[in-house]
Amino acid sequence: MKDAGVHLRGIKKSFGAIDVIRGVDMDIQRGQFAVFVGPSGCGKSTLLRMIAGLEDTSDGQIAIGDRDVTHEDPADRGVAMVFQSYALYPHLSVYENMAFSLRLAKRPKAEVDEKVREAAGILQLVEHLDKKPAQLSGGQRQRVAIGRAIVRAPEVFLFDEPLSNLDAELRVQMRLELARLHKALGATMIYVTHDQVEAMTLADTIFVLQGGYVQQSGAPLDLYDDPSNRFVAGFIGSPSMNFLDATVSGHGDNGVTATLTGQPDISFDIPLVDKPAHGARIALGMRPEHLQVTEGQGLRVTVDVAEELGGVSYQHGTLDGGEPVIFQQTGARHGMHGTIQTVTPDPGRIFVFDAEGDRIR
Amino acid sequence: MTVKRARDLAFSGIVLIAAAIWIFPLYWALTTSLRSENRIVSDAGVIIDELNFSAYLSVLSNSKLPMWYFNSVGTSLIITVIVLVTGMMCAYALSQLRFPGCKLLYLVVVASFMVPVPALYVAQFVLMSDLNLVNTWWGIILPQLIVPVVVIVYKQFFDAIPREMREAVLLDGGGEFTLLFKLYLPLNWGITAALAIITFISAWNNFFWPFLIATSENMMTIPVGITQVNDSFGVAYARMMALALLAAAPVIIGYLVFQKRVTEAVMISAGVKG
Repeated sequence: MKDAGVHLRGIKKSFGAIDVIRGVDMDIQRGQFAVFVGPSGCGKSTLLRMIAGLEDTSDGQIAIGDRDVTHEDPADRGVAMVFQSYALYPHLSVYENMAFSLRLAKRPKAEVDEKVREAAGILQLVEHLDKKPAQLSGGQRQRVAIGRAIVRAPEVFLFDEPLSNLDAELRVQMRLELARLHKALGATMIYVTHDQVEAMTLADTIFVLQGGYVQQSGAPLDLYDDPSNRFVAGFIGSPSMNFLDATVSGHGDNGVTATLTGQPDISFDIPLVDKPAHGARIALGMRPEHLQVTEGQGLRVTVDVAEELGGVSYQHGTLDGGEPVIFQQTGARHGMHGTIQTVTPDPGRIFVFDAEGDRIR
Repeated sequence: MTVKRARDLAFSGIVLIAAAIWIFPLYWALTTSLRSENRIVSDAGVIIDELNFSAYLSVLSNSKLPMWYFNSVGTSLIITVIVLVTGMMCAYALSQLRFPGCKLLYLVVVASFMVPVPALYVAQFVLMSDLNLVNTWWGIILPQLIVPVVVIVYKQFFDAIPREMREAVLLDGGGEFTLLFKLYLPLNWGITAALAIITFISAWNNFFWPFLIATSENMMTIPVGITQVNDSFGVAYARMMALALLAAAPVIIGYLVFQKRVTEAVMISAGVKG
């Protein structure tokens, strides 16, 4: 099976006066599983549709392998797409749905049959080949949509939120199947989702989009450990990172002292190389798993909701200053609901963001 | 007896009475066609007490009935096929393609509803005459090809097909013709059948335009042919009724076979026409 990288240079897209994509550069290497993730309206689906050729490109260049496909028809780009709604042809059987593109390309009957049966074998659809889409479950329909893409042997697979119509259990199962499929086919895949868990579990490379820009790209754990700005830090990780507003109240040899805006009696000594000016407003980011329950000094949290998940529990509460805070406890059954706890962040793992949201530590 | 059952019975009774009123003219035509001409004039009774098939024999042997049948079937079929194919393609373009004047064109189609067809007869007759199409099939057919309701109904159904399905076909390598004939049309076979039936029936039943344009007996359709069975003594009622029943027979049989589709079609076009 052929596969190739996808390379975008200065991609822009406007709908009338509204700029949706404002200049995107990206390189997705051949065989990579790339995930576009971001909140609703960030432009991730539009970008995918531009790669597919379903939306015109206002400016910039899209290349697949070494071919400039910016202005080519969708069918000539060597891409196949799996839609959120599956977009199966309801009047055709599973077999005919999968054979549709090959028949349009006037491939010999034997070849069509071989490819359809091969894809059906991979996707465990052999016994459903004569059924109509309406007779299938959601997961099976999604597999047919994937099968329809596989038979075309495209250079690049595009997935537009393919799992969002499935129930939670099936979503986890299909996620694993997609990961296995990627390993088996070794093709370049681009996947759009707003679910950062899907992004973290599937991706070789994640592109976090917001406001028509790529905020950051990289391996999932790199983004988790080393977010470049407050948006990425908040978006990657579940539950989200806690952010506490603070002010620089003192400078030391190796860092600064930051005092919480909501609780002037609490301050942290944070190691920092580029020290903001005295009085500068900053935000401190703390992941829920980096807050330890301690006795004595620390952040006082009134726990109002305890999510006990068995292996871990997430304690949702508010600080004395009113800011919401989540901290994680390994194990469960802590019975913290309604209690007041004191938590302390690991100073070495506090993220610091400046007033613009850029990370300074 | 419960109130509900009484209400059901009363409703059924009303429906039966209405049905009897509607079917009576047809029944009367049948009894008339089975009597001798002399008896009809003296006794216009409605009981079938005579089985006189002379009117049918006369119509079948002395009129050009087979020719009229042929003309009716031929012109109605051609009208149906052309109206559906052009209507479907026009609706597809209006629904799915973006081109300058698209919305204006659709408004023109909708506005053409407001022009009563008889208002066009004189202009159409002059046009057909200039084109030397009087007394030809094309003279009968051409003016009947303008059926905006087909375009509007198709457009509504095409609009309802999800955009992603269209995009899937584009990605699969299909063009506009593939989209129309392998996606939009197969997804709308039901409405196509319904539109075909109402278009055929309305072409078959059309009297006035063929009456104007087909003056030669060889070019007449059946409804026009009915006017030709008078004899030198005046109106021949039995023959006229026999011919009317023979003319209606294919439509009645067609209706009984496709009853569900016809009902659907009438409801859809009534919905569009408001």
